[in-house]
Amino acid sequence: MRRLAILAALAALYALSIWVVAPDPGRLWTGLPRLAGWLAGGFPPDFSGPADLARRAAETVGIATLGTTAAALLALPLAILAARPVAPLPWLYQPARALLDLLRGVDGFVFALIFVAAVGLGPFAGMLGIALHSAGSVAKLWSEALEAADLAPVEAALSAGASRAQAATVVLLPETLPQTASALLYVWEFNIRASTVLGLVGAGGLGQELKNAVDLLDFARVLAILLIITALVLTADRLSAALRRALL
Amino acid sequence: MNLVAPPAARIGAGGLVVDGLEVRRGGQAVLRGVSLAVAPGEVLAIEGESGAGKTTLLRAVAGLLPHSGQVSAAARPALVFQQHALANRLSARGNVLVGTLGRVGFLRATLRLWPAAERALADDCLERVGLAGLGARRADRLSGGQRQRVAIARALAQRAPVLLADEPVASLDPGNAEAVLALIRDLARHEGLAVLLCLHQPALAQRFADRRLRLHEGRLHPP
Repeated sequence: MRRLAILAALAALYALSIWVVAPDPGRLWTGLPRLAGWLAGGFPPDFSGPADLARRAAETVGIATLGTTAAALLALPLAILAARPVAPLPWLYQPARALLDLLRGVDGFVFALIFVAAVGLGPFAGMLGIALHSAGSVAKLWSEALEAADLAPVEAALSAGASRAQAATVVLLPETLPQTASALLYVWEFNIRASTVLGLVGAGGLGQELKNAVDLLDFARVLAILLIITALVLTADRLSAALRRALL
Repeated sequence: MNLVAPPAARIGAGGLVVDGLEVRRGGQAVLRGVSLAVAPGEVLAIEGESGAGKTTLLRAVAGLLPHSGQVSAAARPALVFQQHALANRLSARGNVLVGTLGRVGFLRATLRLWPAAERALADDCLERVGLAGLGARRADRLSGGQRQRVAIARALAQRAPVLLADEPVASLDPGNAEAVLALIRDLARHEGLAVLLCLHQPALAQRFADRRLRLHEGRLHPP
């Protein structure tokens, strides 16, 4: 009976999705020659104005790095407030979890859109958008790492007269450093990818350059930017993996 | 039968007096009217089968469990946990400094700006348990016996007059077990600590404790 209900729910979900998306392989098929034409038009990729491209790439890395750092600073108190064994103010536990769910629930792209309106166009708005969304993700990952840790040393600290906040910062944070640092690196790596599209809302980075090239149907430029994005993401991925290995 | 010996008058300010301690869990009484006293410099061993309530007794005396009855000690007793309960990624000194957290402010402790006096005390505690020179070594790079000594040093760093030790040698080989118990006995003798020790090995209790009691079905009995 329960299995039938799950199957029925899945079927309803798929039916609704197909109805609203209206996927049409025929349209894809007829569009393929156009795509192939653009791809062919992208060769050779246009890397002219390397200083501009380098500045945009640096903006992308900067947005991700500063955004992730700001997110970590915001996430630290939130994670401690939202980790049941060490939450210093138990009455704040549920509100803290609700806040980090809210931050995670709104995409960095949307936050960036709002910040562009507030602080103007450019990478600073992108950084703020990334920071706010990532603070929720990092706090969630960190609070889970804190909750999964061996709590015996925490209990020893509490029995020695430590406050719950002291037990969290002196004992639990160092104990969970491999997990928390690894989570932060993962979020940074994700933010390198995410910040490449922030330019679409005027928040700087390679996305801004990409949008300009697409608007002008300049496919050689589009291809060059896509290659740079791929190189950035792969480098961030390798660097983050190496740092994670070093931490364990 | 008066099991509260030596008499409470002899216990003085530095000892431990427990009177009518009761702990209930899920509606069931785990400890029923436990009374005992430990004088400064004395080691009292509580024996009992696994599940007799020895750990519950120590945790209640340490204030980690809700209970009824009276626990009187000059200051919060220090507790040595059964499985060391060390923070693996902290150094031996870092773990001992955890014992000073009751006296060090949040910001100083968080930023590792320990007062010089507390750092000196941590090194002194390590020296007293025979680990001088190992302060910088990470806890997970120490042997089982060394880890238990760090746990004792952490308890000493609390500067508590009462030391509670929950099966402190349960995970040690016989040689290390005897060395750790001899250390606890010497600390009681030379530093005037009142020690309440739970053990499930009567032979060890006989050798290293001044008095022994047996915990059975939540009550204390003669050994």
